[in-house]
Amino acid sequence: MAAAPPARPTDRVRLAALLLPIPPPEPTLAMAIAADPQTRTVALIGNPNTGKSTVFGALSGVQQRVGNYPGVTVEKKTGRMTIGDRRWTLIDLPGTYSLAPRSPDEMVAVDVLLGRRADTPGPDAVLCVVDATNLERNLYLVSQVLELGRPAVVALTMTDLAEERGVAIDLDRLRDRLGGVPVVPVQAHRRKGLDALKAALAEAADRPPAVVESPFPEPFREEVAALEAWLAERRPGGPPLPRYLVERLLLDLSGYLEGVVAQVDPAELHDRVVSSRARLAEAGCPVPAVEAMARYGWAAGVLDGVVSRPDQPRMTTGDRVDRVLTHRVWGTVIFVALMAMMFQAVFTWAGPAMDLIDAGVGWLAEAVEGAMAEGALRSLVVDGVIAGVGGVIVFLPQIFILFFFLGILEDCGYLARAAYLMDRLMTRLGLSGKSFIPLLSSFACAIPGVMATRVIEDRRDRMTTILVAPLMSCSARLPVYTLLIAAFIPPAAIGGVLSVQAATMVGLYSVGVVAAAGVAWALKRTVFRGPTPPFVMELPAYKWPSPRVVIFRMLDRGWSFVRRAGTIIVAVSVVMWALLYYPRLPEREADRYEQEVFALEAARERADDPDRVAELQARIAAIEARALGEQQRNSLLGRAGRMIEPAVRPLGWDWRIGAAALASFPAREVVVATLGVVFDIGTDVEGEEGASRLQSALREARWPDGRPLFSVPVALSIMVFFALCAQCVSTLAVIRRETNSWAWPAFSFAYMTALAYLGALLAYQLGSLLAA
Amino acid sequence: MSVIAAMPSTEAELIPLTLLRPGQVARVDQVLGGGALVHRLREMGLRRGAEVEMIRPGSPCILRLDGHKLGVRSDELSGVLVRSGVPVA
Repeated sequence: MAAAPPARPTDRVRLAALLLPIPPPEPTLAMAIAADPQTRTVALIGNPNTGKSTVFGALSGVQQRVGNYPGVTVEKKTGRMTIGDRRWTLIDLPGTYSLAPRSPDEMVAVDVLLGRRADTPGPDAVLCVVDATNLERNLYLVSQVLELGRPAVVALTMTDLAEERGVAIDLDRLRDRLGGVPVVPVQAHRRKGLDALKAALAEAADRPPAVVESPFPEPFREEVAALEAWLAERRPGGPPLPRYLVERLLLDLSGYLEGVVAQVDPAELHDRVVSSRARLAEAGCPVPAVEAMARYGWAAGVLDGVVSRPDQPRMTTGDRVDRVLTHRVWGTVIFVALMAMMFQAVFTWAGPAMDLIDAGVGWLAEAVEGAMAEGALRSLVVDGVIAGVGGVIVFLPQIFILFFFLGILEDCGYLARAAYLMDRLMTRLGLSGKSFIPLLSSFACAIPGVMATRVIEDRRDRMTTILVAPLMSCSARLPVYTLLIAAFIPPAAIGGVLSVQAATMVGLYSVGVVAAAGVAWALKRTVFRGPTPPFVMELPAYKWPSPRVVIFRMLDRGWSFVRRAGTIIVAVSVVMWALLYYPRLPEREADRYEQEVFALEAARERADDPDRVAELQARIAAIEARALGEQQRNSLLGRAGRMIEPAVRPLGWDWRIGAAALASFPAREVVVATLGVVFDIGTDVEGEEGASRLQSALREARWPDGRPLFSVPVALSIMVFFALCAQCVSTLAVIRRETNSWAWPAFSFAYMTALAYLGALLAYQLGSLLAA
Repeated sequence: MSVIAAMPSTEAELIPLTLLRPGQVARVDQVLGGGALVHRLREMGLRRGAEVEMIRPGSPCILRLDGHKLGVRSDELSGVLVRSGVPVA
């Protein structure tokens, strides 16, 4: 914060500015950064669940950009709009109940609003999105915003709901009480009131900010003024600290803000602040309670005679619905049924869509293969780039379907009830109910699961959820499980009822859940230890979901996955291609395979007996598969597999299994095809026939001394490994995107690989002991 | 508990918020404690004088505050004392 740009004027200057019709532009750093001086900036702030994002979406349309503020995990959402012939930049700040920063993440909104961030232009106007059904609490935040000294506009949402409840609001009076701050009712999802809102913004930005008297009692104001003077003395030449931050210095018991104020000895500042608080406590203004008293007192004064509501709180339809949906038994039953329906839909609809994408990618690969000359370039395009792109878009059906349902559940208000129901269960892991749906979604795919953690406000909870989500057995593990279970687990039944194969499957899913529970528990006690923030969860009023909002959110999630994670996935796919492609087989050997194929092909041309043609065709395929296997064993990755053999030996693996595990780093489902190549079956292992060929090849595989390579313990060890490992570059890319750091995907990969190794070791060694 | 039960039941009694029964309405009297947790509760509107209705007790419980429903864990409400106008049985 040493290079904080000059702050907005203090009260004195603001009063002076009132005398001028238009305030002179202030030479802030932020203004110098804005390339076009004609461009105006507006920041949106509001409580959670006020419909702020909908207002933002309605104002900016499709012109949105999502990024990150450097150094924090806060998402930076910006948009553009035009008012008259002037261009505006919109900044959507995270929903919050209060501007009381206690961490760098929470500081972002305050710094943006005060124009203290070099990467974001200071706003010319602040748009407070206020829920008409809960004016008291929303005005708490408004009273903080008004103290920032920026022109403000209030967008009043949920007016239809307020009306329905019989709440009447005198808008003109409210505007007067707020010192002339325009109050514009909007229904963003119906696009009502947007023009009036834009006009109000344009007008407000040209005017000096409204002057609102401090809501704090006199003793507090005196202490703030004294501290302000004290700071100015110790920061000569430096820009004065904004009045709002001086207030917060007194109110912030966590001490976070004291560390943010530069050029002052922290110990000296702390002593000064503590003595100030002691005087305030004596004067009947205990810190921080004085803030809530002052601001709610102010809000009550503003609303007196402005709002009239029916005396008897009526039992609404929403209340009756809630009686059932939040009921411990019925609510849980309905929740389970809803989730079952959602996953049924994901599996039944995503499957065909994914097959279609696979087929499309396969068709494209074949077309390119036909159009290009054989060689490294063709292989790069087909096996590297096209396969990589296919690997990205194949996730879109799952992301779209899952977020379509979650969007509906969120927009109608159910998601909060689900979090309420699951909270009791999740607190045992040190998490909250909000982590449940992201984790559940991860059973379909960890990518939408990790993306769904955005609903978790608490950073520690969110990070923990992100880090354990990939341990849930996603649908990509299923091919590995099915292949190995069918090949090596006897189809017997324990006691004639419980199928051993089914029990193994359940066991593998449980391994992931138990590991996730353990890791979450451990993370919350080590890396993410800290005071649990209060769990106060709003249960918003039920409403019909807006198709516009649901569709927009769904497309937004899919698009942001393609843009932000897609590039990483394609890049890794190309690198993996190179590791499998180079070095090429010595020419002599490659020629030998080629000649064999040529000879058989010539024979096939001559043959007229269809049985003979089929037999020759099969022999050609076998030789080609062997050549491919030879090439892959000879590749850099194959050699790496050989190098790591001592490490995978205790798992019961030979180097071929090791190489297959290495090659499946980009996506674990690839391991089935990789095993096919490594064991000379070729890549065509889909379908019943291919799978049974691969299964018999695995059963016939031998150690050099002739012992069978695979046994039940080896199969278990491979399956446990794949249940726990982080072999999915797409998940790692999404973790990087959501945490804004490479350190977390690296950590995920490291801990999951270690866990997978230990799990596989245990499975093999215990399995061997039991079998012996 | 026994002390509260012994008090005249027509008077507004000071009881912990978490002991309200479903449907019971009360006025917040004191929010004890000075930490960040309590401050966050106050910011959310659980301040002195606010009217709360217990909708579903337990942990987390569901309260109605300023016409809105909130899910709050009971242990976080331990410092909130309310005066209930309705007699406590």
